[in-house]
Amino acid sequence: MEPEDEKAYADYVEQSWPTLVRAAVFLGARPHEAEELAQATLVRCYTGWDRVSSADDRDAYVYRMLLNCLRDVRRTRWWKDRQYDVPPEPVDPGQPGQPGQPGQPGQPGQHGQHGQHGQHGHPDTAERIAVADAVHRALAALSKPARDVVVLRYFVQLTERQTAEALGVPPGTVKSRLSRALAHLAANDHLLDLSGGTK
Amino acid sequence: MTDLERLWDDYPTDPAPTRAILAAAHGRPRARRRLLVRPLLSAGVVTALAGAFVTGVFVSGGGDGGGDGGSPGAGPGGGGDLPRHVAFQADLAPAKSCADLLRAYVDRGLDQVGPWGWGMPDLKVYESSLSALSMKRDAAATPGTVRQNSSDTGTNVQETGVDEPDTVKTDGTLLAVVRGDELTTYDVTGSSTRRLGSLRLPGVADAEILLSGDTLVAVGADDGHRDTGTRVVTVSLADPTQPSVSDQVAYDARLVSARQHGSAIRIVLASPLPDLDFVSPGRHRTTRQALAENRRIVERSTIDDWLPTMAVDDGKATDLLDCGDVAVPSDAIAVGTTSVVGFAADAPAKVDAIALAGQTDIAYESADHLYLATSGNAFVDCIRCPYQAGPLLGRRNLGTSYLFDFALDGVRATHVASGQVEGVIRDRWSMDEAGGVLRVAVAPSSETGPFNAIVTFARDAQDLVERGRLDHLGRNEELQSVRWFDDLALLVTYRQVDPLYSVDLTDTAHPRLIGGLKVPGFSAYLHPLGKSRMIGVGEGPDGRGGWGARIGLFYVRDVRHVRLVNAISYGSDSQALAGGDPRTFTWLPSHRTILTVVERWAGDRRVGYLSVLRLAGGRLHEHRMAVEYGDDVDLVRAVPMPDGRVVLVTGEKAQFFEL
Repeated sequence: MEPEDEKAYADYVEQSWPTLVRAAVFLGARPHEAEELAQATLVRCYTGWDRVSSADDRDAYVYRMLLNCLRDVRRTRWWKDRQYDVPPEPVDPGQPGQPGQPGQPGQPGQHGQHGQHGQHGHPDTAERIAVADAVHRALAALSKPARDVVVLRYFVQLTERQTAEALGVPPGTVKSRLSRALAHLAANDHLLDLSGGTK
Repeated sequence: MTDLERLWDDYPTDPAPTRAILAAAHGRPRARRRLLVRPLLSAGVVTALAGAFVTGVFVSGGGDGGGDGGSPGAGPGGGGDLPRHVAFQADLAPAKSCADLLRAYVDRGLDQVGPWGWGMPDLKVYESSLSALSMKRDAAATPGTVRQNSSDTGTNVQETGVDEPDTVKTDGTLLAVVRGDELTTYDVTGSSTRRLGSLRLPGVADAEILLSGDTLVAVGADDGHRDTGTRVVTVSLADPTQPSVSDQVAYDARLVSARQHGSAIRIVLASPLPDLDFVSPGRHRTTRQALAENRRIVERSTIDDWLPTMAVDDGKATDLLDCGDVAVPSDAIAVGTTSVVGFAADAPAKVDAIALAGQTDIAYESADHLYLATSGNAFVDCIRCPYQAGPLLGRRNLGTSYLFDFALDGVRATHVASGQVEGVIRDRWSMDEAGGVLRVAVAPSSETGPFNAIVTFARDAQDLVERGRLDHLGRNEELQSVRWFDDLALLVTYRQVDPLYSVDLTDTAHPRLIGGLKVPGFSAYLHPLGKSRMIGVGEGPDGRGGWGARIGLFYVRDVRHVRLVNAISYGSDSQALAGGDPRTFTWLPSHRTILTVVERWAGDRRVGYLSVLRLAGGRLHEHRMAVEYGDDVDLVRAVPMPDGRVVLVTGEKAQFFEL
């Protein structure tokens, strides 16, 4: 790769990273997988970079890659027995200020309590797991195609055309799936529960 | 949504591990096919990854010479074969033996297996089994603007004389409706419709039906295996008050298309990569070991793993195909199996089946030919190139669509020619055959300029040879719809306005652009009413700052100067379903009226309207009524009867509709 392309690629990595990771979580990945997926996606994109670096198609291409990576992982591994192998941070029952909700995932801003948990020692781990869990429950009401459209179009804010390209469906399908999915989500009581989940 | 939005914003992310990603990217072998790179845990793994690549080299084995698997040319072998129809009469040769065929599958499979199993992205990610049937957005085709009428069974189809499945069928006296798996028959000879009988179709989901005499053929997903199975159920309507199941055939392959020519039914089935018992790396197995083991698993696969089966009346599954009825196409086509299965409506268990050992996503049938095509989607190929950049680098066929032409004779299909075109074929509506010439509307890919094109093909011995082309249609615009006539094509592309191009196909060697019209919005479905007028169903600005469904009346008498006469706007957040499913569009020439379904979201409620468009005084006059809600909106059909009356079918009812 030419130095200037290399620079452009690196810039793209920097700039797209948070959104890619969030998208992976919203698409169903668990927190620790989300970063791997984002990374695998970007690594995959490197090889074809000269072909996709035209600004118009780039995002569609990258998110298509993300979906494919996710799909590969999902097909072969954790999707089949989908349970949280990284359990939400256990809440100390005796801890003050958390009135008796043992099932409630950990709360943000309480980073102190999981410092010694080996690989999950990152201060944000508990919050990530909690958020991901809440997101997955909320989006579970949607079919996978509907969820993919919502994530790419609504959250990542790809254009309708980019979303269509990333998903390999016609733009009209994006539009109709999105409106249906948003309506469905708006009517979803489950979302109300989320408010308690994080803040 | 606001809660989800907040969760989106709140999700903590670390800074991008840019250096690690760059290192991993550099470590990628640029000239070696490889498998899914899956960095394990952020930064620390990069070296391990590089290691995996190095070890990846030992894998290279079967890539180079063996690629083409099915040795071309009939060859001397195959002794003792019974005389049989030669299903492959062009460049493709059937496999000489099951061992040969398996070798071809395994060779190609090895290119795609990784430590976690199949590493190649599967292309038809979200295509549900019926979505190919329930056609996509993009529009339709017919002669020079010549009137397009519904099929004999009341369905608005692509090709005159080739019937397509739908949820409603009629022979003029009897109306059959399927809703999910519930079949209901109605007598439509009286002054009002009368319900006759019903039947739950066994083992089938989201069925659609075809009608041949008093045999009804339901085709749908196999209930037990919706994503991977197809079920055909035939029903005798000899006594329409008591429809009864005659035969059932289950296939372990996904339905791509179903068509009816007279009493011959033809289905195209797709079998993707087989579900082998792959291992994954873990505590007891390194990535390298898992890869080696998965490769062994592929090598040990049997021909039964790769070829589809059929089961009659839920009996034992048997092979759908003889190995000698499967041909191996170019290895640029994703490995898998596409089967072409023909049968008579009254004998679904007696099939004539041949197959390609590759995945083709698109099937278009003219009156006497079937064309299978790979879409040539640039993404697909670009996703492959990181893996296959090695041996395939020089001939990776990025963005090229492959075409396979089969001659049809009753239930039998014979491969007669192959071809290819640079660019993307969006779907079956992008193809049309007239006078022995195949015309294809091609969207841009990595191998073309940033424009759409029309390419014509003629059969020359075993090849589909490019005969003419017209490039530079809708530069940087997206192809929305095409309507084909014998000597004319009308194309709609879109970016901000709707250029409607007229292409003269009188001389297929030299397609000529003869006109263009730009109006706001675009038409996703074009329906010619006759020589002078055409309807465009699509979307556009609603005139009040919003965006929604729009139906326009075009004057096409002089195709060099197409004019928009008037347009009906349905308000923001509305959508005309005919853009995605032309079967929701009904043209009633005797009433000079169009019935079509428009949906609108009212809060979280989906409301389906029947829009009645009357053509009078050279203009469209519209009124509409809410006829259905929720998912059942998809079931709304206006079915024309031979006597000029119309039955409106909804989720619950089928009643005459007073015009």
